[in-house]
Amino acid sequence: MVCTLSLTGLYVGSTESLSVIFTQLKDLNYTVVGYKVVDNVLRLCELGSYEEIPTGVEDVQSPGNYTLTVGGFYRHGPDSPKKFLYPPRLTLFKVTPNWEVVEEGLNDVRLAFFGLKPCDLASIKVLDRVLGGVDEFYTRVRANMAVIVENCTIPGNTCFCATMGTGPRARNSFDIAYTKINNKLVIEAGSELGLKLLNKLEVEPIDDSTYADFEATMRRASLKARANFEVDNLPELIELNIGCKVYIDMSKRCLGCANCNMVCPTCFCFDILDIPKIDGSAERVRVWDGCLNYTYAQVAGGHFRPDLCARYRHFILHKFTYWIKQFGTYGCVGCGRCITWCPTGIDLRETIVQVLKGVTA
Amino acid sequence: MKKATTKSLIPVKALVTKIVPETWNVRTYYIKVPEGIELPKPGQFDMLYIHGVGEVPISVSDVLVGDRVIAHTVRFVGSVTTAFSVLKEGDIIGFRGPYGIGWPLDLVINKDLLLIAGGIGLPPLRPVIREVAQNRKAYGRLVILYGARTPRDLLYTYEYGEYASIPNTELHLTVDNPDSGWRGNVGVVTELIRKIDLDPSNTYAFICGPEIMMKYAIKELISKGFKSNRIFISLERRMKCGVGLCGHCQMGPYFVCEHGPVFPLWFISKYFWVDQI
Repeated sequence: MVCTLSLTGLYVGSTESLSVIFTQLKDLNYTVVGYKVVDNVLRLCELGSYEEIPTGVEDVQSPGNYTLTVGGFYRHGPDSPKKFLYPPRLTLFKVTPNWEVVEEGLNDVRLAFFGLKPCDLASIKVLDRVLGGVDEFYTRVRANMAVIVENCTIPGNTCFCATMGTGPRARNSFDIAYTKINNKLVIEAGSELGLKLLNKLEVEPIDDSTYADFEATMRRASLKARANFEVDNLPELIELNIGCKVYIDMSKRCLGCANCNMVCPTCFCFDILDIPKIDGSAERVRVWDGCLNYTYAQVAGGHFRPDLCARYRHFILHKFTYWIKQFGTYGCVGCGRCITWCPTGIDLRETIVQVLKGVTA
Repeated sequence: MKKATTKSLIPVKALVTKIVPETWNVRTYYIKVPEGIELPKPGQFDMLYIHGVGEVPISVSDVLVGDRVIAHTVRFVGSVTTAFSVLKEGDIIGFRGPYGIGWPLDLVINKDLLLIAGGIGLPPLRPVIREVAQNRKAYGRLVILYGARTPRDLLYTYEYGEYASIPNTELHLTVDNPDSGWRGNVGVVTELIRKIDLDPSNTYAFICGPEIMMKYAIKELISKGFKSNRIFISLERRMKCGVGLCGHCQMGPYFVCEHGPVFPLWFISKYFWVDQI
């Protein structure tokens, strides 16, 4: 069947189409990044071949737990696109003993994310507002970046993308979005590149029965990926209840490990280390920092947030209130990583529900 | 103002021209900055970098315009500031700045000005005193209240005569813990506020010091009839970048380095009183 493919069309093809897309991206000189099983965890890595992409595994996530098991669908692991767009450790420049500043050269990269979930795509849109045009590394990688997103048919137990409005179906800002439905692939293009890739595939316009299944699947997923709160005027309510005792209760289990900050796909805070080298130079190295770390708000003469509950409160308020004032968007995409990877399973959704009870009561 | 980028974190080389000992653990470093660097306004700060050690935000405590020299008064408390203690005149350090929003001197034209400083909070107010001295007719009465822990912690003691000789100016000092030679006020700086006559409708208050001291000072001023738009405070926070990127200095939605460090009280009053915000 011959038809003209469009950006607004929804198409159906076989799941083998994915390997065609993968190969096309490689041929277009993209470095392809996707999930791989490393030490029994899904990690985002550079992929050499399509065969490296795991199949038949599922990540079972719950507060404080992550287990990889046999299954048909997986979401994500601790890594987010941030790892590649805003590396955990980056040498910014070097100052030689003669005070010459040597900047690290930035290579042109063509990065293609393969199989990201909509929450992670949304996190890139958040980072665009924070780092776009501000961080040279980010801006450079972002300029030549492709995203192949997989709609989330079975959200996990810590997911709440539907509440945050970021998923389970990606609506824009992707090159290709695909959904696995009944061993078939529902696929759409979101950019000129996406359309070019789509044209290499054997696809047909979606038929009524597959479309009905697709809609039903996404609706089910959307109901699953909900927290017990609505965003609506959440930013204002949270701020109004800034003195809420819930932060004290919720942070009783907090270890101050900052895992939540590290796995968060949008946390952008950084520290700068001064690393002396053997030749007498000093490297200025940017590393991720997080507001749950003890030293985050510490100064030599004192400490602005010595208590864990204050640091935890800042995390919540920043994500849901301050971020909007600073960048015009939530700092949370509902991926649930901070809940899963919290060693003591502190559930941000529960915190918000409790804080809201305090204001509406 | 142009939005900062990661490249803004690169320092320029600057010469330490003079070091003035102030107290047992405080010295003032005069730094000559290259052409092309904008000279700071009162209340702004710079990021000073010690090679191989690290970088710290330090308030500007004086500007020698013709010489392109900027004074920074440093108390030795952390690892970087302690590294300052071994600097010698003629040494090179890294410099970035000036950063932040300073004291709103334009608002104070023809108005009275009350400066309240605690401890190492005096240096960022010193350029204000200089400005009033140089353009004396532009401002009304100047009252300086300064408190330190002990007499030996008082900064710029060699200049007090100069301050007192500025027309229509008063300088009141106090210490928490006097020594045997101290004849002045004893107690916290807020007690000085109670003792002096002020006209809240015609006075602006600029405050810099430990947060607890600023909170008490503000309460005292408000009880005297000051409105929150007449009170300006300079905040301290951890800062790694100085240009609104690293996140550490947040006070509510504000990045203290970029939106401050000087704030009108009403901007931040929603957050300032919340413990450990």
